[in-house]
Amino acid sequence: MTDTARTGPDRTAIGVVGEAGTGIGGPGPGIGEAGPGIGEPGPGELPEHLAAVAAAPSVQRWMHRSGDDVAGARLADLEMLQRFCASLGTDPDELIAQCLRSTKSGDTAISAAGRRKTDQAISAFVAAEGASGRDAIVLGNKLRGFLIHNGIFMQGSAAID
Amino acid sequence: MEFNRVVGTRRSIRFFKSWRPVEREKLQVMFEAANRASRSMNADYFRAIVVNRDDLDAETRDALRNPTTTADLDLAPTYIFWYIDMNYVEGAQDRLKALVDQHALSAAHGWSRAYVDDFLWPQVLEPISKDMSAVLFMGAVETGIAICNAINAAVDQGLGTCMHAFTANETVKSLLGVPDSWFPVWLQLVGYPAEEPEAGGQRPRNPISTLFFEGHTDHPFEEDPEVTERLKREGMLQTPGPFPYRAQEVKMLSRMYGLPE
Ligand SMILES: Cc1cc2nc3c(=O)[nH]c(=O)nc-3n(C[C@H](O)[C@H](O)[C@H](O)COP(=O)(O)O)c2cc1C
Repeated sequence: MTDTARTGPDRTAIGVVGEAGTGIGGPGPGIGEAGPGIGEPGPGELPEHLAAVAAAPSVQRWMHRSGDDVAGARLADLEMLQRFCASLGTDPDELIAQCLRSTKSGDTAISAAGRRKTDQAISAFVAAEGASGRDAIVLGNKLRGFLIHNGIFMQGSAAID
Repeated sequence: MEFNRVVGTRRSIRFFKSWRPVEREKLQVMFEAANRASRSMNADYFRAIVVNRDDLDAETRDALRNPTTTADLDLAPTYIFWYIDMNYVEGAQDRLKALVDQHALSAAHGWSRAYVDDFLWPQVLEPISKDMSAVLFMGAVETGIAICNAINAAVDQGLGTCMHAFTANETVKSLLGVPDSWFPVWLQLVGYPAEEPEAGGQRPRNPISTLFFEGHTDHPFEEDPEVTERLKREGMLQTPGPFPYRAQEVKMLSRMYGLPE
């Protein structure tokens, strides 16, 4: 077994980029850990800068996946999505729209190009956040989860090291 | 495991113990099982190459990824690339005559060496070998039959497996020395299940009466409840999914591997 053959920070795999950094993986609730639930205090307690993101239909859809409402979402997830969207100058609903296209018959289909671009943007974001190793995979896959629960089929790498 | 239980326990496994390699001897059993599969013309329709995940460099593994097969490639320690050898008709004449000599095919059923040489080969088999759609159609069916044996042999040995779309043929081709005559079919991922072997329960299937008919399509093949009960006892028919804790199982496995939830 060679090191290069294993999932590691040197890989160029989808969602596995970047070297060790302090960003997201630093002190405080790690990317993979449960952040402080915001369900308990109630929806009214959402930090103001997250209100717009939390209200987006695509985000509601994401949060409703496990029967939660947005209020039950983990603050950290919303924060991360908000930062990701901000880094692209877009919003959650628009992000989903960029992964879709209209077919000749007028149906909506997944855009392979849009999905690839978004996947690359996730990798770039993860790198910019300074996450590495398992943290990088978890962070990337959380963002992929948002897309997945809005119907954009995709997979990320698994953390096996 | 008894045959009925093997068939009933088989699931497409997508969470593997990434750290546990598959013993070579278990692969040999899978390959012998595939090689015992029935095949027309007694031909070798399939070819397969087994590769350890960890022997592939990161670039190659990345090239294999596609939207439906990404995490699985990280989790499964063993990959089997299945192909059709499009030249499988070659030698059919001799193979069929060998079956005649062995009395596997006999005059009792109309077979003779002369039939093979004078009619079957020139009028049927050789023309088939030049008809690409027929070659592909037969090759796909026959390779599928062989794969099915390999799948069940894997399950019988406590392994988990799932078939996957096989993309990036060009990358694999040069790396593994695949001849031009091999046509890629499926990628089989093999390993020890990290999920329970039941993977949350048996998948929904329509009753056999919707798929099988007796004598006429007006007459669905109705199941005999006693046989159904026996198949439940013998493990071919198992508790349908989802088990009450399946969502939690998937959630915990996803967390372990950092996958989307
Ligand atoms: C030939 C073949 C190709 C398949 N391809 C894929 C695939 O690309 N990705 C995947 O996740 N599952 C794939 N599957 C698994 C099926 O989705 C699976 O068999 C189906 O969900 C039924 O579940 P079961 O196999 O557990 O009974 C494939 C199965 C077969 C037989």
